[in-house]
Amino acid sequence: MARTLAMFTDTSLCIGCRACQVACKQWNELGMEVPEWTGTYQNHAHFTDKTFRLVRFIEEPKPSGDLAWLLMSDVCKHCADAGCLNACPTGAIYRTEFGTVNINQDVCNGCRYCVSACPFGVVAFNEQTGTAKKCTFCNDRIHNGLGPACAKACPTESIQFGFRDDLVAKAAKRVETLKGMGFKEAQLYGADANGFLGGLNAFFLLLSKPSTYNLPENPKVPQRNVVVDSLLSIGSALVVGLGALLAFRQRGNGDGDA
Amino acid sequence: MLKTPEWGMMIVVYFFLGGIAGGAYFTAAIADIFGESRDSKVARIGYLLSLPLVAICGALLIVDLGVPARFMNMMRVFKFWNPMSIGAWVVGVFGAFAFVSSALSFSASPSVVLVRRAISLVGIFFGFFLASYTGVLLSSTAQPFWGEARLLGALFLASGASTGMAAISLIMFLMGSKPGAGWTKVKLADRYSMIVELVVLGLFLGLLGSAAKPITSGHFAGLFWGGLLGLGLIVPLAIDFVGHRVKSLAAVSALLVLVGGFVLRYVVLMSIQS
Repeated sequence: MARTLAMFTDTSLCIGCRACQVACKQWNELGMEVPEWTGTYQNHAHFTDKTFRLVRFIEEPKPSGDLAWLLMSDVCKHCADAGCLNACPTGAIYRTEFGTVNINQDVCNGCRYCVSACPFGVVAFNEQTGTAKKCTFCNDRIHNGLGPACAKACPTESIQFGFRDDLVAKAAKRVETLKGMGFKEAQLYGADANGFLGGLNAFFLLLSKPSTYNLPENPKVPQRNVVVDSLLSIGSALVVGLGALLAFRQRGNGDGDA
Repeated sequence: MLKTPEWGMMIVVYFFLGGIAGGAYFTAAIADIFGESRDSKVARIGYLLSLPLVAICGALLIVDLGVPARFMNMMRVFKFWNPMSIGAWVVGVFGAFAFVSSALSFSASPSVVLVRRAISLVGIFFGFFLASYTGVLLSSTAQPFWGEARLLGALFLASGASTGMAAISLIMFLMGSKPGAGWTKVKLADRYSMIVELVVLGLFLGLLGSAAKPITSGHFAGLFWGGLLGLGLIVPLAIDFVGHRVKSLAAVSALLVLVGGFVLRYVVLMSIQS
C-alpha cells in the first residue's frame, strides 16, 4: 500500500464560501438539486446522493449570550475501519491503495446496507442509478497526481490534502497555536490512528466539542455487534428448539391418529 | 445525522415470510426426526410450506435492490461477519435444503426417510439462521434503536418459530381432515415458542430501556402494544390455554400469531425510517 493520503479540514480557517462544495459538484458531475430551507445559510441539511462536500453553518450559544458562528466543511471521513466497507455484501465498496474508501458503481447493486451502517450518515442512495453514492476522495484525480477538487478550490487552506502522517503532525501544531490564542475547546477529530474507527483519513480540527457539529463523540463500527447478537440468537434457538423437541417427544395426548 | 436505508414493505414482508419459512422448516425437521410416525404430516406440511416461501423471499430481495439485475454480485464475496452477505448465501442454501426435504417427503421408503432426516438435521441450522439473521442484520447497523437492540435476532427467531408453527397448524386446520395428534403437538410447540417470545420480548424491552421509545411510544405504540403484545401474543396464548380443545378457536389463535409476527417486523423496520 502506498503511503496513506488524507484530507485535513481545519474548521478554524473556513469562511463558508462553499467553493469546495461547488468544485465537488462540478468535478464529479453531480446533478442539480432543489434547495431546501434549513434556517441558516446551509444547503442542504445533510449529505445527499449529489452532495458529497457540505459546508455546515452552526450557531453555538456562548455564555455571554452571543452566538458563535462555526463553519465546517464536512465530507466522507474515509474511516480506517469503515462501517460501509464492512457492510457491503458485493465487494463494491473497497479500500484504495491510498487508504481511501470508494464505491465501485459498476458492482454496487443497491442493497443499501452501507447507508444504514455509516456512523456519520454519509452514504446516500441514488434512485436514478440504483446505487449507493458518496465522496470518492476524487479517486480519478488522486490517481493522476492531483489533490481532491475541494482541497484544490479552498481559498483559505481550510481543506488540506497530503500524506496522512504529515498532516496529523501539522494539525497537532495548529491545535496548540489555537489554544494559545484562546480557543480553549480547539481539538482534533479523528486524527488519532489508535482512536475510534482506526482514525479518519479525512479528519478535522474543531473549535468546539464534536456534538456541537452533530458529530458522534465515539462512533463505533456497527459490525462489532454481530458476535454477541448471534450468540444470543443461538441461545434463543436452543430454547425454542428444545420446546419443539419436548412437544414432539410427547406421546400423542388425545385427538386420535392423523 | 444518520441516514436510514429506506427498506420498505417488501423487506417487511421478506422478514415476515423468511421467519415463517425458517420456523416451519425447523419445526418440520424436528417433527420428522424426533417425532412419531404420526407426526409425518406436520413434517411434510412444514417442508412444503418453506419451499414456496423461501422462493418468494428470494424474489422480494432481488426486486428490492436498486439494480436487481446485479443480484448475483452478492455471490462475489463471502463475509462471515456480515449478516447481509451470509444472509444472501443462506437464502440460497436454505432454498436447496427446503427443496430436497420437500421432494423426499413424498416417499415412505425407509432408506429415503433416513436420507431425508439426515439432510433435514443439517437444514435445521439454516432454518434457525434464516429466522434470526434479519434481526442481527438490523442490530449491526449504526441506527438508533436497531443498533442498540442486542436481542433483536433472538426475538425474530422466537417469532419466526411461533409464526412458522402457527402457519403449519393453520394449514392443517384449513385442510379440513381430522387434524390429529400431530396438530396437537405443533400447537403445543407453538405455545412454547410464544412463551419464549414473550420472555425474550420482555428482556428486549428491559435491556433497551428508553432506546425502545420508537416502538413503545408515539406513532407505533398502538400497533406495538395492541397488535403485537396484545393481539399477537397474549390473546392467542390465552385462547390456547382456555380453549385449546376447540379447533376453530385454536385456528383463530394461530391467525393472530401470524398477524403479531407481521406487526413485529413492521414496527421494528418502520419505526425509525421516515
